[in-house]
Amino acid sequence: MSPARVPPRTLARVFWRCLFLQAAWNRRGMQNLGFAYAIEPALAALYPEPGRRREALERHLQFFNCHPFMAAAIVGGAIHHEERVAAGEEPPGAAIRYKTTLQGPLAALGDGFFWTALRPFCGALGAAGALVVGVPAIVAAVLLYNVIHFSLRLGLFRAAYRGGDAVVPVIARLGLPLAADRLRAAGVALCGVAAAIVVLRGAGAAGAAAGIVAALVAGTGYAALVRGARLLPTAYVAALAGIAVAVAGHLHWSS
Amino acid sequence: MGLSYLVLGVVAGLAAIERKGFLQAMLSRPIALAPMTGWALGDPHGGLLVAPPLELLWLGAVNLGAALPVHEALGTVAITGGAVLAGRALGVGVSPEVAILAVLLCAPLAHLGRVADRFVELWNDRLAVRAEAALAGGDARAAVRWNLHGLVAPFAVAALLAPAGAALAAVVIPAFLRAVPGATGPLRLGFFAFAALAAASGAKALRAREAPRFFYGALGGALAAGLLIGGVLS
Repeated sequence: MSPARVPPRTLARVFWRCLFLQAAWNRRGMQNLGFAYAIEPALAALYPEPGRRREALERHLQFFNCHPFMAAAIVGGAIHHEERVAAGEEPPGAAIRYKTTLQGPLAALGDGFFWTALRPFCGALGAAGALVVGVPAIVAAVLLYNVIHFSLRLGLFRAAYRGGDAVVPVIARLGLPLAADRLRAAGVALCGVAAAIVVLRGAGAAGAAAGIVAALVAGTGYAALVRGARLLPTAYVAALAGIAVAVAGHLHWSS
Repeated sequence: MGLSYLVLGVVAGLAAIERKGFLQAMLSRPIALAPMTGWALGDPHGGLLVAPPLELLWLGAVNLGAALPVHEALGTVAITGGAVLAGRALGVGVSPEVAILAVLLCAPLAHLGRVADRFVELWNDRLAVRAEAALAGGDARAAVRWNLHGLVAPFAVAALLAPAGAALAAVVIPAFLRAVPGATGPLRLGFFAFAALAAASGAKALRAREAPRFFYGALGGALAAGLLIGGVLS
């Protein structure tokens, strides 16, 4: 029996639906509903008989949780296996084994690269750039993020669809953990640059005292946050400290 | 004025969807969302003033596994909207003193949004149950369509809370600055202190190896370069 194939148009529909993976994130099945929603057009193409289609959809309505971008690799690979299941070349559990094996490692990889490195780096780049050149820096940062994110999302979906389990060495070759380390270090440096721009702007707009206060807040605030101070209360303390210093200075000079 | 709140509600609702349910292309991050909110209200420069500190403040707001971060999109729309509407009422636009008051008033909404997200997840549990029931009834298409219903609750929560926060800021800030005109100078300094703390928060959120060395090194180096360039130019 020759393997059934999902038409390219249907694959494009599945990829589009992958963008809604977390639409109904819930505590029971997490991304289960989103996964079933994404893969449903492919299952409809592979299983014309309603009974088999229902069985296949039930398989994919089970618990699923992964990083939403890395999940594209799992959706693509699951279709790869479902094509073989539909052709009778693999048992029905093959796609589920693929999902359960990869979802944890890919979640950790995606969280480590996209959420805690690439996106904060682009955010820091946009923020530091916006303080100097305004909107063009924001557009550049958002574009950079999306070129990388969509290339990986689409590339992993295609690689996993074509190769199934062979996507694992492809992902390993990307070297995401090392890239994440470098992006984090660069992002921290960008935050330092942003703090310096704020200090200089503060001195320009509200006098040297504002620059000195901002520099002190940046230095001590970072130390406090690293030691576990809570963010919002610390932000209030910083703003109110700045206000108090200005009031105290005003009272001193007017007396 | 009513139209402004409607626009704010729509922007906040769409941002809440983009943030988790659809796409996640950084359009709901403060750095992009604040200028877009300002632009939607007719004051892109106002949004541009608050965007960098809010992005840096909430750089660590990420959705890791089942952990819920603060709702930075909701906070951003409320703060930007409140600042723009208050600045318009004062006839001065968004200045640092207006912006810092908007932050102090509306930032807690980001935490309220996190609580609301918890309820949204419980609501989504019901959608999953309905999808399973539809599938058991033999309707596969209807089963998976319940996924899209999950976009409604985050939209509604943000569309209601963000304009409410902005409305509070639009009333309180002009009244305060008219009653205490001498507060302008201290508040301006408070804004720069807050922005500096936000940069420190961004550095802390990145959790890089040897982060203190990079942060303090870049801060010192950029300050020295800025002072040097400023001295040469003057």
